[in-house]
Amino acid sequence: MMVLGLRRAGWVAVVAGLAVLAVAPAAAQPTAEEIMAKAHLAMFYPGEDMRARVTMRLVSRDGKERVRELTMSRRDLQDGGEQRYFIYFHRPPDVRDMTFLVWKYPGRDDDRWLYVPALKLVRRIAASDKRSSFAGSDFSYEDVSGREPEEDTHKLLRGEKVGERAASVVESVPKDPGSVDFTRKVSWIDKATWLPLKEEYYDRRGELARVFTAEELKEIQGFWTVTKRVMKNTQTGHFTEAVFADVRYNQKLSPDLFSERALRAPPAELSR
Amino acid sequence: MRRRFGLLLLASLLVARGAAAAEEIPLHGFVQAASAYRLIQPDRCPRTQRLACREEFVLGEGRGRLELTPRGEWWGLVAKGELIGDAVGGEVDGDLREGYLDLRFPAVDLRLGRQIITWGVGDLIFINDVFPKDWVAFISGLPLEYLKKGSDGLSATGHWGGTSLQVVLVPRFEADTLPEAGGRLRFNDPMAAIESRNTDDPSPGAEGPEVGGRLFRNLLGWDLSLYAYRGFHRAPAGEVEPGPRLRLFFPPLNVYGWSAQGAALGGVVSLEGGYYDSRRDRSGRNAAVENSRGKYLAGYQRELAPDLTLGLQYAGDVMEDHDAYRATRGPGMANRPTIRHVLTARLTQLFWNQTLRLGLFVLGSPNEGDFYVNPEVKYNVTDALWAALGLNLFGGPRRAEFGQFEGNSNLYAVVRYAF
Repeated sequence: MMVLGLRRAGWVAVVAGLAVLAVAPAAAQPTAEEIMAKAHLAMFYPGEDMRARVTMRLVSRDGKERVRELTMSRRDLQDGGEQRYFIYFHRPPDVRDMTFLVWKYPGRDDDRWLYVPALKLVRRIAASDKRSSFAGSDFSYEDVSGREPEEDTHKLLRGEKVGERAASVVESVPKDPGSVDFTRKVSWIDKATWLPLKEEYYDRRGELARVFTAEELKEIQGFWTVTKRVMKNTQTGHFTEAVFADVRYNQKLSPDLFSERALRAPPAELSR
Repeated sequence: MRRRFGLLLLASLLVARGAAAAEEIPLHGFVQAASAYRLIQPDRCPRTQRLACREEFVLGEGRGRLELTPRGEWWGLVAKGELIGDAVGGEVDGDLREGYLDLRFPAVDLRLGRQIITWGVGDLIFINDVFPKDWVAFISGLPLEYLKKGSDGLSATGHWGGTSLQVVLVPRFEADTLPEAGGRLRFNDPMAAIESRNTDDPSPGAEGPEVGGRLFRNLLGWDLSLYAYRGFHRAPAGEVEPGPRLRLFFPPLNVYGWSAQGAALGGVVSLEGGYYDSRRDRSGRNAAVENSRGKYLAGYQRELAPDLTLGLQYAGDVMEDHDAYRATRGPGMANRPTIRHVLTARLTQLFWNQTLRLGLFVLGSPNEGDFYVNPEVKYNVTDALWAALGLNLFGGPRRAEFGQFEGNSNLYAVVRYAF
């Protein structure tokens, strides 16, 4: 019994040693999958929770501008897993006081609720298509709350500088091409912060359709944050610039905020 | 009374505007112009609907709204007043849309005053939403928010471990606003020969206040609700008295129901049911009062493509004691089937970064043959200015629910500037 136990332990040690040898070079040079997994966490899961005042400028090719201003609150139930979002709209006037609640689940459709103050109505929103535009902007729901890295296959193309920052360039191809509006995405992931500095989305004809750029990065409470981001539709010339102000992490946001009660009567601090 | 109070409130809102600017109390509002042109003019014209037969415009008005909404940590005040200039009727009027005080306690929310309450999961199919509605505004082509009317009362909602209970108390009954004799809208009037009419005080004191309750919680992603209501029919019943004179009154009603809504089948599934206990006509033999009824609906909503959404509903309305009902029907009176089936579809497509919306809503009853069709184009010209153009088409048998409004079918336009 004892002998057998030792022999088994010996085998485990040998296998573990081999595994370390196999993984060691990869740890020095992370794989494309590891880069995208870390980028996903850095971009969409920093802290236990987050709150920010977001101002989106929607600008058309001819310079016509519309503004969406909202307060976004996020709470993670699990790092890289389930999340809840509560969004309060400040303007424009026709959506003022509207609230929007999302329960995000990895691997299946979100639950989404919209509260319409004029009708005192909580409306359930169909959430099958995560590529839909968020509040009319060039950002899709997935651009706001993240696309799971497991939904794509990734390939590390090269290292490249974006401005002063060293980045890994990764190409991602959706595993289920029918589920999304892009066939290929190329991301420039910052080697220092793991945040995406730039993303290019290519459509079904292989042409460049949308470009994401992180215009401003700030370290807030130890978390690197993209505080100004732009998504440009290269085919229509329309772009959206989103500025994140008053970003706060780990505020111990109450789970009660992500409920029907809060949809109908959002806390006073949100409406200011 | 309601109107005078509205005017008074509007005046105080205007005064408050100055103070608001000084202390940064949120003040918002809009100005809106709306007009609707009658498309169909049926030849038969009962004497009680002479105005409706003469008037080319179903709607022609301008509105100004002020909203004052100061808020603190545990309290909030909402006052929304409107000044309405009616070009068709040549009148100016005030209305308090909403005016209430919110008090927030750790587990309980209180709301006191004139408030809009919406229950149930139907899209223009109301089962458990027993609260007052303005069908005249709806038929006339005003924006959908005007279909809902405020209730003057108290709402208390308690929250315990994910389960909530809302109790609503309304001391003063508010009836639905329906097309009526002498008004601007056409409708089926079985008593068209009787011009002398009298409506009972819609606050039947002897019967006590209206009481409603809603118990709700989310379970495995499904929003589940149970409802109960004790009050009155919102539409009046009519009884011929010696004279002859038509007496309109609001018979007592209890409603019990449930609803469920959740993500399923790649979209949102809505289910609702309710039982209408018509307390004054449990036998079904009273010709004036509605029989008891069972109502149900099943709905499905799905995003077909980005910015393209389809909603489908099937609803049924089952009358109890149908034989007794048929025995009470006289000539000229509607004779409804045991079950009224209704199908609806809503298609919404957004364009140009969601600033242009094309909408189509179709409602029809396959067995009664009446229908309502509402295509609409809405464009947000800027963040502050939107304009909508649409059609309200009603049709079908003259005595059916939507068929009677055929003569109100209209082309409407609304422009709103908000601040």
